[in-house]
Amino acid sequence: MLLNRSNSGKRWRVRPDGPGKVTGSMAYLTDFSAEGMLYGRVLRSPHPHARIKAIRTERAKELAGVHAVLTAADVPGLNRFGIAVPDQPVFCEDIVRYIGDAVAAVAADTAELAALALELIEVDYEVLEVVDDAERALAPESPQLHPQGNVLHRSAYCAGEAQRGFECCAHIVEETYCTPRQMHTYMETEGGLFVLGEDGRLNVYAPTQHGFMDRMQLSRILAMPQADIRIVSSPIGGSFGGKDELNVQPYGALLAIASNRPVKIHNSRWESVRAGLKRHPMKITMKTGVDGNGKLIAHQVSIIADTGPYATLGAEVLRFAVEHVIGPYRYEHIKVDGVSVFTNNGMSGEFRGFGGNQAIFALEGQLDRLAEKLGIDPWMLRLRNMRMPDDAGPFGQPIAATEGAQQVWQALQASRLWQERASAGMGSSFSATTSEEPWISIGYGAAFTMHGAGLGVGIPDPAGGRLTLAADGRIEAVFGYEEFGQGLLASLEQMLIEQFGFAASDIRMIIGDTDVVPDSGSTTASRATSMLWKSLQNLRPMFQAKALEAASRLLALPAAKLRLGEGGIWQQEEQMLLLTYADLAMYSKERISCTTRFHFPTSPVDRVGAHFLYTYSAVAVKISVNRLTGRVRLLDQYHAVAAGPVINPQGFLGQIEGGSSMALGFTLTEEAVMENGLYLTKNLDTYLVPTIAEHRGTVEVEPIEDLPDFDQYGPRGIGEVGSVTLAPAIASAVHAATGVRISKLPIQPELLQLQDIESFLQRR
Amino acid sequence: MGANRQSLHAEPLVRHPQHAEEAWQMKRLWGATASYTAGGTLLRTQWESGLAPVPAYLIDLSGIAELHGIHDEADGNWRIGPMTTLTSCRSHLGLQTAHPLLTEAVRNIAAPSVRNLATLGGNIVSAVGDALPALLACNSVLQWRTEQGITDQALTEWLEAEQLQSAWKERLLVGIQLPRQTSISQTKRILAYHKVGRREAFTPSVVTVAINGQLGDDGIWRDIRIAAGGGQTRPRRLEHTEALLMENPSNSPSLAVVYQSLLAEFKPKGDSFASADYRRRTAANLIVSELWKAAKRLTEER
Amino acid sequence: MSLDQYAAPAVHLMVNGQDMTIDVAPSKRLLAILREELGLTGPKRSCEIGRCGACIVLVDGAPINACLAMAYQCAGKHITTVEGVAQEGEGELDPVQRAFLEEGGFQCGYCTPGMVITVKALLSHTPDPNEDEIEEALSGNICRCTGYGGIKRAIKQAVKWRNGY
Repeated sequence: MLLNRSNSGKRWRVRPDGPGKVTGSMAYLTDFSAEGMLYGRVLRSPHPHARIKAIRTERAKELAGVHAVLTAADVPGLNRFGIAVPDQPVFCEDIVRYIGDAVAAVAADTAELAALALELIEVDYEVLEVVDDAERALAPESPQLHPQGNVLHRSAYCAGEAQRGFECCAHIVEETYCTPRQMHTYMETEGGLFVLGEDGRLNVYAPTQHGFMDRMQLSRILAMPQADIRIVSSPIGGSFGGKDELNVQPYGALLAIASNRPVKIHNSRWESVRAGLKRHPMKITMKTGVDGNGKLIAHQVSIIADTGPYATLGAEVLRFAVEHVIGPYRYEHIKVDGVSVFTNNGMSGEFRGFGGNQAIFALEGQLDRLAEKLGIDPWMLRLRNMRMPDDAGPFGQPIAATEGAQQVWQALQASRLWQERASAGMGSSFSATTSEEPWISIGYGAAFTMHGAGLGVGIPDPAGGRLTLAADGRIEAVFGYEEFGQGLLASLEQMLIEQFGFAASDIRMIIGDTDVVPDSGSTTASRATSMLWKSLQNLRPMFQAKALEAASRLLALPAAKLRLGEGGIWQQEEQMLLLTYADLAMYSKERISCTTRFHFPTSPVDRVGAHFLYTYSAVAVKISVNRLTGRVRLLDQYHAVAAGPVINPQGFLGQIEGGSSMALGFTLTEEAVMENGLYLTKNLDTYLVPTIAEHRGTVEVEPIEDLPDFDQYGPRGIGEVGSVTLAPAIASAVHAATGVRISKLPIQPELLQLQDIESFLQRR
Repeated sequence: MGANRQSLHAEPLVRHPQHAEEAWQMKRLWGATASYTAGGTLLRTQWESGLAPVPAYLIDLSGIAELHGIHDEADGNWRIGPMTTLTSCRSHLGLQTAHPLLTEAVRNIAAPSVRNLATLGGNIVSAVGDALPALLACNSVLQWRTEQGITDQALTEWLEAEQLQSAWKERLLVGIQLPRQTSISQTKRILAYHKVGRREAFTPSVVTVAINGQLGDDGIWRDIRIAAGGGQTRPRRLEHTEALLMENPSNSPSLAVVYQSLLAEFKPKGDSFASADYRRRTAANLIVSELWKAAKRLTEER
Repeated sequence: MSLDQYAAPAVHLMVNGQDMTIDVAPSKRLLAILREELGLTGPKRSCEIGRCGACIVLVDGAPINACLAMAYQCAGKHITTVEGVAQEGEGELDPVQRAFLEEGGFQCGYCTPGMVITVKALLSHTPDPNEDEIEEALSGNICRCTGYGGIKRAIKQAVKWRNGY
């Protein structure tokens, strides 16, 4: 059944954070201000690669209204940050490695004064050779950006003997796929407010996807106990992975401490583009062979990722890509080699899809090309090779069994859009045109994916939360997760209502404040909703038992006769409210509070990063290509998503539609273009994310909710998967419409233009 | 440290002349330290991006009544005040009927919120605005306040020579004239405007083309103006191709010749986002497809 | 010349129905005036060059990018921010806001103030817009979260309510 408001009935709910958002009354952290607040600014390197010979800050320090000017010498603790490997300087000491590298920071009475102070800081640079290409960075003669060289990480996987496998293949396809440096383009740029309390504790109001990680990293930088730092991190105006790593926090914190005044930093879009993370550009070369029946025999892959100057999660993204270039198919022989390379380009890092977007674009491209060689329908080739429910995962690791792969395949096959393709007589190599505009070609395409959730084997991935009946009778649900728009609060509220029987007015949700929430792990990797669900599964019997026992004592009724309900404790079989939560809180002698802590489920293997829970998706699209201009339009899309029960229908639909929109940009319009280590796309006038006009067509989303009876893991993540599968589906449809194979994104229109338009028209 | 404060980026002084003459005198007085400002959308964008310095003086033209308005003059000419916002152009019913090329062009510029501030004059004096190909195809004339008083100048001439004439920077655009469209008997008017960008809306132009012609019932072009621009390419008329068409029946096998002529005549600038070659081919494809469409429609009607 | 010679002239505005006179430089951006001088943080700062729509407000009923408009351009005009959209006496929400709320026309919400203003302006002059008109009207409002699906559904719903069907 398609997901929409009318099919969802009462489960379609207004989001708890909605009223504040539609009225503009909800303050984001970058809307905060404080009495006596200063404005912070960061001086960043003008060069992608240079040696710092001298920094002179005297003139800036002398400027009236300037209260702090800081450089590397002013960092009391570790002058480095990075979630996985702290190798990024807070302030560069001797070398700058990209044009976002920070050299100094100032705090001043006004934003204008802070800007002027930056101009008064004099830095002498000796410009060094720029390493602006990942492949070139691997050459021995290339300048080495770090003591360990230019390789951040290598990741490989081998099963069978690929070389021997290719000897038995009837058809082999070799292709190299390139994907763009995509920008998250969260509408709220990085920023926040930093306040040193009278008690000496530091209060950080700045978006992040894992408050406790920020606290740990800031504690390291500031040489301050973690207990003395409070991170308030929600609500957030979009993140998509881009605000998981520290951004302005080190500077805001250091400036607030140095000036002993509240400090606000809010990056301009220019600074956000320059300093912020992007999706790793990857070059993926694949050689894939099948036997005469279309059975995949051998698959050999090499991946080169441009990770930019510092690590952040570059190694983790590469590992994810290595797993997902193997993806949802079975092969006899696999060999994958990946390398993530340091360059003087912009920072690459975590971004929705986490390496899966690049991997699946390449892998699905191979399946399409093989189908053409075999002369069979590309969608049938997927069925012939997909993993069966009891199969192991891409790394041969045990995974939670579901029938998701088959289910999404079948759903797509039966979908209105795919039926339309069949009735239009569209095989893989036909296109329809109109007589009025014969240069418009229509094509249909589809793609398929499995996408892992959680951080994977070998990486701490804690989860948990707390339910407490507060003194005022509210049931407090306390979690260390963040709300960046995905609808986490809405999902939590809906589960509390549906699974516990509470009314919305009984609930108080508390997130995003390290002083009061438990560490529930990061809000990343499509994990938070799954972990909320599991936490509530664990908490429900505990909380229910405690609350009903306490009520039983107060009411002198057996607990078995009571139940939790809207507003309070109800008599089990009759519609009668016996005790309000407020009264229960007031009169109960013991505190009713339960906590759960557990780890994200992982596969029992020794392979770092291997996943255990997967979401499956299949996407079909209809596109048009204008052969005059080479421009592609998306006309219609269908998404089947097998991710277990739908927790929040509106949120689920929004995540798939929104993820798909991001993928559309990745496919057609978005690329943060760099030349010689400098961005050419500095703001949204040249970096073009999709507008409403890109989204003319219909979008159908069909969730497949079945899970095996024995499944204990509940809803799978859907935050990322919507952004993964669209690109290869469009590439496939473009081929159907034009006969042109796409191997580079965003699609270059010149490849799709008719070369001999005048003779084409004269024939009409 | 008052001295330092003075080196803060000073806010420009804004002057609000009430008459074009007064504005022009101010600009003469202050020269390069002053900038005329209309809607200010492009200026503001350039300042914020660091592409242009903030001038000491802004001469705000918005209060000058004579620079506003869309006038359907008795002789059939249309006169548009340069301070007319793009929104006013877009939504003017008379203009939509008389010069749909222009209103269609304006629909493709920026987004409504920008068009509510931005003016037609500003789009023109940027020299790369997307209204220009449409205005070229309508044979538009610009009216300037200059040292010599009010001067009329064909838009084509201004676009060709403006970069070479530094003295022209002081001039003030006071009017845009769209001459009456004369209709030749037994012809159909053919109008087309295309803007191709890197996205479907609110996009910088890669290629912009406009066609304004009259195709005779006998298949012969009696009148045609073709203009092309886009990106940092100054829009211009493609006169060689126009001449070629005027001599030839539209349904003759000359489409290939026209196509080659377009490729040879249009010389766009490429950049990191779209090559010159792509822009040239796209412009030629669009123009040829419109000629083909016009000829096809004629054949079908016969 | 010294700046002090030119004391900033006061700018008179009507903001969300309230008359006010503010001492700011005439070239100061409306966005800065609203957020910093008046504490109206509904209009959002994002691209600052009129390319995203997060700061759109109504100036005399027309949507304008507050990051582009300068103080002198707003003198004597009526400014409506998202905070002033809901009419008193009609409940707490404007039908446009209620439609965004119920249809899920937002996620992170950062583009929403600009979206609500733009849709409000659209429906005021085009009560029953077709798809072309919706696309044109909203082409300057970037939403990065929703893919615009919820926004289009919200517009359809708002049209229904406004037109009483």
